[in-house]
This record gives sequence, structure tokens and C-alpha cells, in this order.
Amino acid sequence: MSATVSVAAEWQILFDRFYRKPELYQMQWKHVDLSRNKVAAAPFGGPIAVIRDDSKIVQLYAESALRKLRVFNSAGLQLSELIWRNPGGRLIGMSWTDEQTLVCITQDGSVYMYNIDLESVGSVVSMGHDCFTNSVVECVFWGNGVVCINEAFQVFCIQDFRNPVSCQLAETGIEDFPLCVAVIEPQYTMSGNVEVLLSVGDQILMVEEDGVQRLDVDVGPIQKMAVSQNAKLLAAFTHDGRLLIMTSDFSEIVFEHTCESVLPPEQLDWCGMDSSALPPEQLAWCGMDSVLLYWDDVLLMVGIGGSVQYFYDEPLIIIPECDGARILSNTIMEFLQRVPDSTVSIFKIGSTEPAALLYDALDHFDQRSAKADENLRLIRSSLPEAVEACIDAAGQEFSISQQRKLLRAGSYGQAFCSQFQRVRIQEMSKTLRVLNAVRNQEIGICLSIQQYKLLTPSVLIGRLINTHHHLLALRISEYLGMDQEVVIMHWACLKITTSSAIPDINLLETLLEKLKLCKGISYAAVAAHADKNGRRKLAAMLVENEPRSSKQVPLLLSIGEEDAALMKATESGDTDLVYLVVFHIWQKRPALEFFGMIRTRQLARDLFSNYARCYRHEFLKDFFLSSGQLQDVAFLLLKESWELAKSPMASKGAPLHGPRIKLIEKAHNLFSETKEHVFESKAAEEHAKLLRMQHELEVTTKQPIFVDSSISDTIRTCIVLGNHRAALKVKTEFKVSEKRWYWLKVFALATIRDWDALEKFSKEKRPPIGYRPFVEACTDADEKGEALKYIPKLADPREKAEAYARIGMAKEAADAASQAKDGELLARLKLTFAQNAAASSIFDTLRDRLSFPGA
Amino acid sequence: MAQIPKLDNAPLNLSSLRDQSRKEILTILKNIRGNKCLVVDPKLGGSLSLIVQTSLLKEHGAEVRHLNADPFQTDCTKVVYLVRSQLDLMKLICSHIHNDSSKGLQREYYIYFVPRRAVACEKILEEEKVHHMMTIGECPLYVIPCDEDVLSFELDLAYKECLVDGDTTSLWHIAKAIHKLEFSFGLIPNVRAKGKSSVRVADILDRMQVEEPVSTSDMVVPEINTLILIDREVDMVTPMCTQLTYEGLLDELLRINNGAVEIDASIMGGPQDGKKAKVPLNSSDKLFKEIRDLNFEFVVQVLRQKATSMKQDYTDMTTTSQTVSELKDFVRKLNSLPEITRHINLAQHLSTSTSKPSFLARLDMEHTIVEAESFDICFVYIEEMIHKQEPLLNVLRLLILFSVTNSGLPKRNFDYLRRELLHSYGFEHMATLSNLEKAGLFIKQESKSNWPIIKNDLQLIVEDTNTANPIDISYVFSGYAPLSVRLIDKAIRHGWRPIKQLLKLLPGPHSETKRSGFASNTSFDSLPGAAYSTNKSHRVGDGRRSLALVVFIGGVTYAEISALRFLSSQEGMPHELIVASTNIVNGHSMADTFVEKLG
Repeated sequence: MSATVSVAAEWQILFDRFYRKPELYQMQWKHVDLSRNKVAAAPFGGPIAVIRDDSKIVQLYAESALRKLRVFNSAGLQLSELIWRNPGGRLIGMSWTDEQTLVCITQDGSVYMYNIDLESVGSVVSMGHDCFTNSVVECVFWGNGVVCINEAFQVFCIQDFRNPVSCQLAETGIEDFPLCVAVIEPQYTMSGNVEVLLSVGDQILMVEEDGVQRLDVDVGPIQKMAVSQNAKLLAAFTHDGRLLIMTSDFSEIVFEHTCESVLPPEQLDWCGMDSSALPPEQLAWCGMDSVLLYWDDVLLMVGIGGSVQYFYDEPLIIIPECDGARILSNTIMEFLQRVPDSTVSIFKIGSTEPAALLYDALDHFDQRSAKADENLRLIRSSLPEAVEACIDAAGQEFSISQQRKLLRAGSYGQAFCSQFQRVRIQEMSKTLRVLNAVRNQEIGICLSIQQYKLLTPSVLIGRLINTHHHLLALRISEYLGMDQEVVIMHWACLKITTSSAIPDINLLETLLEKLKLCKGISYAAVAAHADKNGRRKLAAMLVENEPRSSKQVPLLLSIGEEDAALMKATESGDTDLVYLVVFHIWQKRPALEFFGMIRTRQLARDLFSNYARCYRHEFLKDFFLSSGQLQDVAFLLLKESWELAKSPMASKGAPLHGPRIKLIEKAHNLFSETKEHVFESKAAEEHAKLLRMQHELEVTTKQPIFVDSSISDTIRTCIVLGNHRAALKVKTEFKVSEKRWYWLKVFALATIRDWDALEKFSKEKRPPIGYRPFVEACTDADEKGEALKYIPKLADPREKAEAYARIGMAKEAADAASQAKDGELLARLKLTFAQNAAASSIFDTLRDRLSFPGA
Repeated sequence: MAQIPKLDNAPLNLSSLRDQSRKEILTILKNIRGNKCLVVDPKLGGSLSLIVQTSLLKEHGAEVRHLNADPFQTDCTKVVYLVRSQLDLMKLICSHIHNDSSKGLQREYYIYFVPRRAVACEKILEEEKVHHMMTIGECPLYVIPCDEDVLSFELDLAYKECLVDGDTTSLWHIAKAIHKLEFSFGLIPNVRAKGKSSVRVADILDRMQVEEPVSTSDMVVPEINTLILIDREVDMVTPMCTQLTYEGLLDELLRINNGAVEIDASIMGGPQDGKKAKVPLNSSDKLFKEIRDLNFEFVVQVLRQKATSMKQDYTDMTTTSQTVSELKDFVRKLNSLPEITRHINLAQHLSTSTSKPSFLARLDMEHTIVEAESFDICFVYIEEMIHKQEPLLNVLRLLILFSVTNSGLPKRNFDYLRRELLHSYGFEHMATLSNLEKAGLFIKQESKSNWPIIKNDLQLIVEDTNTANPIDISYVFSGYAPLSVRLIDKAIRHGWRPIKQLLKLLPGPHSETKRSGFASNTSFDSLPGAAYSTNKSHRVGDGRRSLALVVFIGGVTYAEISALRFLSSQEGMPHELIVASTNIVNGHSMADTFVEKLG
């Protein structure tokens, strides 16, 4: 039991709650005296920035008169330093943002921003001209913003350092400098903008962007204020030495505590009874349920029902955290927190909670005492809670041996309960491994488990890589099964930036070795970084490894590797990328050079042709001419000639046919340049001839119906119009075969139902294709009698049979078929007759049957 | 019955796919507040009709218009263009905006590209100085379920763009669509491709897997086991033949668009006022599901049988006294009456065409060409068609069939037919002929044709086909088994290796890859041949067969889909099949893409 007692012995009790203050680090720094310096410490175990305070008169030891800005990790190991040469007068405010950017604001309202390596981030921003003329006096920071007050009592703010734009809030109209200032972060206000609370006399001014509200708070002048983490509560120290906890809208006082006891009596004498009490140097929340006040040498913790005092013989800084507060002094870093419930249940002196008994049982078990069993039996029914409490308490510990012991107790108990979620222990062990790794003083990020959960592992990894702990970051992300890309990417970019002396080849090798660890990493992004650092060749080599063409191709273009870009785009099969490259080259290069680049690249060439065919006709002609594709130019000309015909200007018979014919003739000439296009050349020639003839026909017949019809149609039209001479002329001019001529003439005569002329035509001479056209024309026109004139003349008995069948003469058909001695034909004819009749009658009867009444 | 098919019985969870697409579209509308005029390009409008009802668009404040050359009238100040990334559409949009600004109309313009933004399109917007006036976004619709087992990439022009224009955008689109499917249904372990485009798609798909891997850890067994990619180019014979299944014939004669045909209302028993009626055709119609894949000849019999049995029931009803349950039974049957009537009307309409001598003569000729034994008869037939100036597309269909089965025509015949064609149909078709030549569909003969060997080796001509109880896929063309489906059958069952020699006779390379994403599952890799020999390894958890996705690049016909359904239902077929295609085609629509519309 002795170990258990010693744990609780270090706790302090505040009413019914316990607090503890474990030491996190012995500060590794040397000769840092907090009282001589301005200090900014980031929450979540973040870095500490230190610079000599130029508002205090301090004695210089063996050091330069120039001030140095230094950044340490939480364990006091120096990360970086910078000689402060910035103009702008005194440094008024210094703080870390959520992104761990160090913001420094000088008297003249200049805002300097640095990363953790003290390299400038962005350019210097000004809080505004008014801050330049009237110096900044006070700065209040929150997560990502700041509020400044200048000598003219104007209030300015930057809402978000990621987009540092200063704006002035409403004029306060006050004449004295406020007693104290506090802000309510934008995320907690109704308007979404920051609210500034100024304590002026008996009043509180609430200043916003567009107005000032005066709140009468009936507690007398407030000397110091602190807003709680969730902005719901406000701690206020009044002139008469009371600490009030109020709601942040000042509507209600939750409780109050009189702090007179901490005032040294002589000071009371000094001030006299009517003057105000000395406000604390620092006032801060410790988690959500107590408030810390610091005067010289005394740290007072006030909570509901009481207070606790701690004495220090050196200066200290309170760093508020979500679940407590870190106390930084010259030599140590401590963490003041309320003892978690699970820990209390185990270690509270005389605790008989199941968890305490379980923890005790493990002790007995280790000592091979039978009492272990007895303990277990006592808590059988509540064993799961006991195990859970042990695991939870392990998570709360900073001491590794204590963690181990608690986990062992949990694991011991778990063996006796069946339903317990076994992964709980594994998960907790995993989390603790990560926490212990980053708590190591080399890393110096001392997070509690709550802070870690609030911060999230991915942000933690981001912080690790910012402080160049890539290996640890990689291991952790691997261990937690997270994406390693961020880590490797950051490493690769940093490596490129810092390796200007290493030759491309060697650097590439180093980079690739690491990059290949991570599947799907964007080589293009690394390459883009290399390009930005002026290492174009390295960029080209890197981008070669990028599997995603959509990322690779644009980058290749931006580093001027057009040929490679075209090749990669083509390989990818993504035509959109090919277009991207084509347009890029088209824009950047003279036409001929562009043509040369795409000529041998089929896909690029075809895509360009398609685009140009649709949109840049003339340019496409130039391209075809340059590459000797004369036939393609010819086809373009033909297309143009048709477009001319379509244009509304070209009404039929208008002289516009002239330019059309010229275009076609030009095409004809181009076709005849190559041996392979004899046919096209001939066709174009005929086309031109046809257009001329059609034009003449339109003039002579005064009928605009010829142009753009085919040769066959022209012949038919002529015959239909009764102009047989013209028809014959077209026939001979274009060497129309007798076969075609017969079909055309027969059909044309049938169209005008000139049956006499048809008969005459049939007798002109023996038709070269027999009498079938005559039969078909008459049958199609439903002239049974006319058809019968020609059917007997059909030579083939099969044709004859079918012709008879078509006009419904079954008997004659059967006769002809039997004449042909074609049994199969006979059968088929019979079937078609049968089917014709049957098909229609069947369907008709079916339909009748189905028309039920009402259905 | 709705045009949007129910997908409850789909072998993949396609409804979630469609819901996702619907959400994408509605999100666009929701994000633009107030009333807006939604201008959709007509082709895309058709696709949308398979995803979302117009009424739903209206509920989101959208007034829907089709994009065409004429400027449209609207009171909305917000105009939302939802268009495919096509260059010619950009010109229309620019002219609209110029028209608005010339009239001093101030409007907010939004343009959403389907399926993604395209540099070339935006370039035109920039050149026309309207780019800065528009809010640009994208709507990633890559694939649309047309039915329970059919997906479409909605790329009507893919075949022509690839083969004539050299624009392979569609191949990337297809790979992306498949890759997206993989994100939902798991990495497909077996990929077999035949044809230049298919091999390229398989290659792009692999690249995408490298660039943006489908995680395989949380997927036990991928739902799709095998991916078969096949170029339309490999088999241009099949689409040129007239389809003889019910659905195929409906498409040939009435053209099915987005799962519906539009015909005179009078044919469907409506009044004779020249109005059109839209008849949805998908598997939500149970009767259609039953008969769509049958040979039309047999469909007539089935319908007759159904009608007769109805008649019988009706007579029974009027004569004898029934129990309540019999009555209930009768009424249930009565509910299927509208479906029966609908299909009888359609079938009757089809049969008026199919009984024409010209239709039969044409079938006869197709058969003769495919048999490839009487060159002269075929040549004369086509020559005569040209002389008679029969519809150009009819001619081109046979011409393509003729040229493809003969690997082109001898120069003399080639030049002669080309000349006759230009003389008969006009010189604007020089461009058409050039397109066909570039696509290899109507060419000069350079070498002996492989067709007879292919035809025999794959037994494409099957003499006795039983249309009522088919035992072979050849029933879909009454005696010709589609080459594409024969290949797919072999590929699924045994992979390419056994038919390597034959594949060399067909255009384009082939590839076969095994993709390992699911390293933990060794049963596939460690037991060679196991994948083919037992069916067990192809069962996913609940005893269903695993799937094979068959992708046609360049289009698929309904007859082929029917043949694939037939295969899928066969004993011993290791996978259930689903079909995806750039679009659904027939000979006419295919030939039409090559015709230059100049005049």
C-alpha cells in the first residue's frame, strides 16, 4: 500500500477536489531568466519564444547588446534563434497562433510573422496608419487573431493570421486607458466577429466591428479579466481584491472569492483601505473548474469552495491548457491539473473503489499473496468498471512506470472478465507509446491525453515535421495506420530546399528512395517544388516518376518539356490532356514549328485537325499544305463549296455557283496531284461539269430544281419534265450505262403515269436488262393491266411466277412455277399466299376475341 | 408503364448507380437557386430520360429546352446548359449568348459538361469571348443503365470518331466508366480484349488502376469476375444483317430510342389522328421480358397461344359457375391483358413489313452474301439497288456486308460501284465514301478474304435452326450465328489461347490480363484451370453466379444482346452476363454515322 499512499500524498485538496502538479521537464536552457524576458509559450506543449524585454531595465551580463529572439521546445532545448533587428520601436505583443506561427507586433503596428525556424512567413503587415501615428500599447491574442489598442484608444484587429488584414473596430470614445482588456473569440460570438471587453471605470465596454455596448456591472472597477476556454465564463479580479466568476455576458455571478489573504499586510498599509487591491500579474484558467492568480512568489488557485496556494522563489509563466495549466519557471515545467476521477478512485487514500482493489490485487499477486484472489472476489460484479478505470488512469499518467503498472492492473483484471472490450488496452498502449515518444525531451511536446485527442494525431504529425522530426512523424503515422504522404512530401521538399549543393542525380536517388515508401504520392508536387527552387532538371527527372498523367503533363509544360508532355499525354489515352498540350504549343510556337511538332504524332495531329475543322478552317488548310496532305485540302475545299451552297446568299440559280465551281475545280486539281486519288479527281471534275449543266438547265427551263441533285435525279427530272433531249444529253455527257438509263427512264415514266410512252420505250429495242423494270414499275404503281403487258415477256419462269404472285394471280404464278420445274419455289409461293391471308385474318380475329366488354 | 426501367432484378446494384447519377443532376439544379432554363443537348436529353423524369426537373425550378441552332425564348434570367463535351455544341451555345447580348439581355449562364470539362470546348468559349460570362461545372455521367443487364456509355459517334477522325476520346471515357464501376463492384480480375480499341481501353484501365487504385482490402470477392472487351470492328458482319428477334426487329423497323419506340397511335389501337404514341420497351414489362429475345416467327405463335388461352378462360367464365379463387385467378390474368394487346398490335405492325417480298428478298441476299459463295449474284443485286436509287442506307448496309466478307472489292468493281453511287446519290457522298474507306468498311481488295475460314471455324452458318426451341445462338438471325457472340462465348469459357490462330484472322490485336488486386485470395492464381473447370469458384457468397461484363466498343445490336442472354442461360456457362456498349445500333444507324451531311 505504500506506493499508493505516496501517489496521493502529492495531491492538494480544494474543497472536495484533488489537484496535482507533476513535473514535466527540467528546463534544458541555460541562463534564461523569465523576469528579464518577454515570453510566448504555445499551448498543446508547443514551443516557447523568448526575447529580452525592452520595456524593462535589465542588467546585461556577458552578452551582446543586440537582442536575440530564441525559440525553445517545452523542455528548453533551443530550436532556432534570430537577432532582432526589426525597426518599429518596442516589441509590444508576441504570441503563437494555432498554426504555430510566431507573431510579433511592434509599437508602430508592424506585424512580423515567423515559422518555428524563425524564418519570415509572408510579408510584414501593418495594423494600420493610426497605429503608426499613435503607438500600439496593448495586444491581446487568441488562436488565430489579435486585438491591438493604441494610444488614441482605438481598437484594431486581425481576425485571421492566415489572411492578415487589419480592420478597425468601432470607436470606443474613452479617455483613459482601460484597466484591462479581454476578448471573446469569433467562434464563440453571435456575430462571428471578435468581441473586445474593456474595463473602464465601473463599466465594461463591449466593442465590436460596428458598435460599442456599455454594460453596467455592479461590482466596481475590474482590474484583470480572463475568459474561459469555451468563452462561457469570465474570471474578473476587482479593485477590492475579490475574484468573481461570471458568465461572459456579465449577467450572473457564479461565485466569488475574496483574495485579501494573499495581500502582504505592508502593501495594504501602503495603499490604504480606500485604494484598490493589487491585481495579480497573471490571471488564467486552469481547465474549466479553477482559476490561477499569480503575484510575485505566490500562485493562488481558486475554485468553488476554496483555494490552494503554491509558493515559488522564482518567476513563472502560466500556460493555460484545455485540461489544466502548465507552470513554467526558470528551471522546471510543471503541469497543474485536477486529478482525473479514475486516478482518484484508485489512489485516494483509503479508497475502496473496485479499481483501487484491483490495483491492490495486482500488488498482492506480484507478492504471491492469496489476498489477490480475495480482492478480486470482492469486486467480481464491478470488475469491468475497475479495469476501465485502471486503463483510463494509465492514460492520465506522465510517468512511464506508473502507466505500465496501471495497464498491468487493467490487464490482470481483464483476464477475469469475459465481456470486456479487449482492444481498449491495445488502443491505450498505442496512444501511450505515441505520447511517450513525443514527450521525450528531445522532442519536447508534452501533451496530456485529453490535449492529444483534442489536437488530433494528424496535427501532431504536422507539428513534428515542422520541427524536422520527420523520422518520428513517419514512424507514428505508420504505427497509427495514417497516410504517410504528408510526412514524406514535407521531407522531400525540405530536402530539396536545403540541398542546393548536392548534384541532381544524387539528390534524385535520395529522394526516390524515400518517395517510393509511399504509394500514390504526388511526384508532380515534389517536382513542382524542385522547379520553384530553380532545379528544373531535377524537376524533369522527378516528374518522370509521376504515375498520374493529369498531374504530370501540366507540370512538364510549365518546365518547358513540351515534347515529353505530348508523349506522356498521348500515352495516357486522355485526349483532354493531349488537347491541353496541343493548345499550349500552338500558342507558344510559330505555326510551322507547331506543325512540325504534331505532324508525326498521330493522335495530336488528328485532334488538332478535328478542332480546326470545326473552328479554324483556314489554319487547317495551312497545316495540310505544310504536310503535303493535298487530298485533305481538297476535301476541305469540297466542304467549303457545300457551305457556300447552304449560305442564305446562295439562292438557287444565283451567280454564286461560279465560286462553288471554282472551289470544286481547285479540289479536282489537288486530287490529281497524287496517284492514289484518280477516282476522286475524276469525280470532282464530273461534279463541276454537272453543276454547270444543271445551272444551264435551270436557266433554260426556268425551274430552280436541278442544282445539287444527282446525275440520276437530273435525268429523271428531265424526263418527268418531258425534256427527253436534255435527258439524253446528260446520259451521254456522263456516260450513263444502258442498264441504269433503263431503270431511270422506266421509273420516271411511271412517275408521270405515261404508260403509252413506257410501252413505246419497251419496244424501242430489246431492253438490255429485260422487262423486269417495266413489270416492277407497273406493279409498284398498282397498274395490274400494264404489268400484264410485260410479265409474259420475262425470260426467267421464276421471275414470271413471282411477278404473277405479286399481283395476286395465284394460278398463273403456279403455272409459271411448275414450268420452271421448281418445287421449292412452288411451295414458297403457296406459303406466302397462305401466310398473307392467314396472317392478317389471324390477327384480326385475335383482336376481336380480345375486345372484352369493359376490359 | 414507365420508360425508366425498374432495376430490381438486375444482377448488379444498378439502381444505386442510377440514383447517383440522378443526384448529380438534381444537385446541379439545387445549387442554382430559383427558376432556370435548362438547355439540354438533344442526344443527352434522350439519355436523361432513362434517369430522371422531366417532372422532377420541373419540381426543381427547371424549364427544360433542347439545344439547337435557333435561339429560344425564356423569361428565366438563369440559363443552364447541360451538354456533352462536343465542339459543335459550343458553337451553338456561343451563338445563343451573342444573340442575347445583341438584344441587351442580361443573363446568368451556367454550363455543365457531361461527363467532364474539356479543354477544347472551353477553348472555343474563350475564342468566342463568352468563357468569362459562364459558370462552368461538370456532371460525371459516364454510364447509364438501359435495362437490368444492359449499360450504355451513350457514345453514338464513338465508332466513327475512332476510325475516321482518329479521335479516341471515347476510349478514355469507356475506361473511366469501367473504372468507376470497379469502385462500386470491385476490381475485375480477368480482362480479355480483342481489337485495337479494346486493347487500348484495357491498357488505359490498367493505367487508371495505377493512378487511382481501387482499394481491394475491403472487398472480399469482386462482383464482376471477367471483363470482355470487343471492338465492333472485329465483327462488322453482324450489325449489317437484319435482326430477326422481336426486339431486334422492332429496332430495325421502328428504331428503339432510349428504351421506347414512337409510332402512330392508330397502330396501338388509338384514334387515327396522326398522333404519335410512345411505347416503352424494357424488362419491367413482364411479357416483353419473356418474348423480346425470341425469334419473331415464334413470337407470333406465343402471342397467339396467350390470346387463345385468354379466350378459353373467358368462355369458361361465362358458362360455368366459379369459386371465388377461380374468379381471382381470372382477374389476375385479365391484368395482363393490356400487355398482350400492346404486343399483338406491335407484332401485327411488324408482320406487315416482314411479309413483303422485298423484305424477304433482302434477307435472302444477306444470307447469300454471308455464305460468300456467289460473288456475282450479290454484285448484280447491289448494282441494281443503286440503279433503282433505293434508300442509300439500305444500299450501304449491303455494300458494307459485301465488302467486309470479301475483304474489299476488286479495284474494277470498287471503282464502278463508287461511280454509280455518286451518280445516283450525288457527289456530296464523296466524303461518305472516303469515311467508309477510312473505316475499312468499303475498300479496295488487297488480299484474299479470311471470311470463309472464320465462318467455318466458328460455325457461323447453322442450317437447321429451331426458332421455337433454339439450341444455338444462330436463331437470332435465323441461321447465322453472330461472330461477335461466338468469340465472346469462347473468351468467357476458355480465354483466347485456344483460338489464337483464328484471332489473327480478325482485325486488331488481342490481349488477356489477370489483374491482382485481391492478393489474399489465392484460389484463382494457384490453381491453373480451376477458374474454367469448376463452377464453384465463380459463385459469390450467396450462391449466385459471378458476372462477366461484356463491353462492345462501337455498338451492339439487340440481336446480339439476345444471343448473349441465351448464352447466359445455358447450362455450363460459368458467368451471368451483362452487356455494356458505347450505344445500341443496327445496320442503319451504323451506316448513317458515316454519311456526310453536307447537302
